[in-house]
Amino acid sequence: MTKILFSDKLDKCVERWKSAGFTVIGPVQRANISTYAAVEHAAELEFGLILPDRSIKDLFFPQSEPMLRYTIKKESIDTDECLPPVGPRIIFGARPCDASGMAIDDPLFGWDYKDEYWFQRRNESVIVTIACTKADDFCMCTSLKMAPDSCKGSDILLRPLAGNKGWQVEELTDRGREAFKTIADLLQESSEQAAPIAVVEKKFDLDACVAWLQNPEHFESRFWKEISMRCIGCASCTYLCPTCHCFDIQDEGDTYTGIRRKNWDSCSFALFTMHTSGHNPRSTQSARWRQRIMHKFNYFPGKFSVNSCSGCGRCSRQCPVDMGITETLQEISKLSL
Amino acid sequence: MSIEEQYRTRAKELLSGGAVKMVIGYGKGTTASRRRPLFISSPDDVERLVLDDACITNLSGYLVSEGLLSDEKRVAVFLRPEGIRAVNILAAESQLDAEQIVIFGFDVSGTEVRALKGIHVEEFSDVIGSIKEGAPEASEEELFEKIEKMSPQERFSFWQEEFAKCIKCYACRQACPMCYCRRCIVDSNQPQWVNTSSHSLGNFEWNIVRAFHLSGRCVECGNCDRACPVNIPLRLINHRMAEEVLGAFDHFAGMSKTQEPVLASFKKDDSETFIL
Ligand code: SF4
Ligand code: SF4
Ligand code: SF4
Ligand code: SF4
Ligand code: SF4
Repeated sequence: MTKILFSDKLDKCVERWKSAGFTVIGPVQRANISTYAAVEHAAELEFGLILPDRSIKDLFFPQSEPMLRYTIKKESIDTDECLPPVGPRIIFGARPCDASGMAIDDPLFGWDYKDEYWFQRRNESVIVTIACTKADDFCMCTSLKMAPDSCKGSDILLRPLAGNKGWQVEELTDRGREAFKTIADLLQESSEQAAPIAVVEKKFDLDACVAWLQNPEHFESRFWKEISMRCIGCASCTYLCPTCHCFDIQDEGDTYTGIRRKNWDSCSFALFTMHTSGHNPRSTQSARWRQRIMHKFNYFPGKFSVNSCSGCGRCSRQCPVDMGITETLQEISKLSL
Repeated sequence: MSIEEQYRTRAKELLSGGAVKMVIGYGKGTTASRRRPLFISSPDDVERLVLDDACITNLSGYLVSEGLLSDEKRVAVFLRPEGIRAVNILAAESQLDAEQIVIFGFDVSGTEVRALKGIHVEEFSDVIGSIKEGAPEASEEELFEKIEKMSPQERFSFWQEEFAKCIKCYACRQACPMCYCRRCIVDSNQPQWVNTSSHSLGNFEWNIVRAFHLSGRCVECGNCDRACPVNIPLRLINHRMAEEVLGAFDHFAGMSKTQEPVLASFKKDDSETFIL
């Protein structure tokens, strides 16, 4: 017997959570794009997606966020700090690769300086993940040693029952248990079996790739130029990626008054490491692509003992020139044979 | 012999004779329906070239990648008519020397691929002329007509909602052969013309600025629209602006390599005294 949340009870749950003060967020399809957004009713949630086009990162690290307002006066400078206006929220229907992406980024945002924007949102969010029963050609969680039912980063894991009837509930954290207490009477004990999880074939040998990347002789390999020749240097792959976390700080306004913002930035852009002198240590697209791969699979794990990739496949799925992490790691796998 | 085979043979000849240093074409992609840009420099690799109805991306933008043409050697490229128009514009705007470009022209109707006769950009003027003649007044797309019928307020709201989705990834710009600027206006900070933040104002400014910069230059290849990861229907803006320029100046972008850029030329007897 397991705890089951039947689909027909979900709307009641949403009501219950809302009256308990939670904002309910989940996968939706709106204006020709799928994303995670706040909903009023369960019917707005879209459970048929393999995964939303936009990643869950947006909810923790938005594309542009005010940090402080400033006014420069003759004698003083007034600043007014802006912290994110979040209250408790339940993200219902995250995908395992998205939830784990947030856990991957926790050490980064908490390393030398604790980023309050990130952690305030992290602490106020309950992530209810639904295991995947469908995958597409680009999904690659298994290549990253995760799975369509990975628990990493989730507070609750739901396993879909056959025929969209509902989900088996697995409570993983206290935060999850706490949030599910509000709907305890809506759950049922049942022996209903979970549907089989998606089959995601392994696409490359991660350990072999990491070893190849760690070899300093490969930093200047011709491989980088060949693999990235078609890259047009947009930020699609980094901005859709749940784990890419680079940002830029910009002041908007005039000399006397304005607002300081934290905006997404991307290592794909030529301007990313451009110095004011005009010198750019990563002056070619291949150096920039190498940075993306090295950062995710060499430098980041070197510092935080985890790869900066959850295998969602968005980078490859959306690339305008059909590139992506998958192909690069597949090719590196071949090189390291 | 299929066109794919003909073009592979031609690529092999050109590469082995040293007539071109590289062929930019299409190769197999990740999935059966995807094709990806492919750069071939050795005659032994021509078998990797693919040509079918899935070859959609306009490859002309690669011609102006830094340093590619600076050794004055020739480069061959697979182009649909829109790509050929783009080469004309790039030549007219002094971004490349058309002599260096060898064209493998093709067009697709349905699933059928047709070779376009010619090698140099001048030889395709009939093809381009016939597109101009055949260009529909309005896009046949339902959404386009719907937007045309909207009141200015409704139209504004429509685009506001669409631009709200923008994440300023600049995939539209990077995918566009006409966005070759070394420093795009949105990357200039002295002065800062456009807000770099991706908020409602910044997104609006960005998309409007790009629409203006592409007016009279866009060849409607659709690269930007397909590249946009959040599915903003950029093609509709481009089409509307192209129509506007055609109506006002009888200018169809990319007719020839010497065509004067419509928004970058000024005549002394112009009825307007102001130039933007
Ligand atoms: S890999 Fe693709 S999505 Fe990423 S920067 Fe290059 S072209 Fe853009
Ligand atoms: S690198 Fe690609 S596959 Fe990995 S998490 Fe980012 S978008 Fe997903
Ligand atoms: S604006 Fe878009 S459709 Fe027009 S030339 Fe550029 S990429 Fe092609
Ligand atoms: S948007 Fe304008 S300034 Fe920017 S690259 Fe395109 S044409 Fe140049
Ligand atoms: S491609 Fe789309 S999301 Fe990216 S900058 Fe252009 S309009 Fe915005």
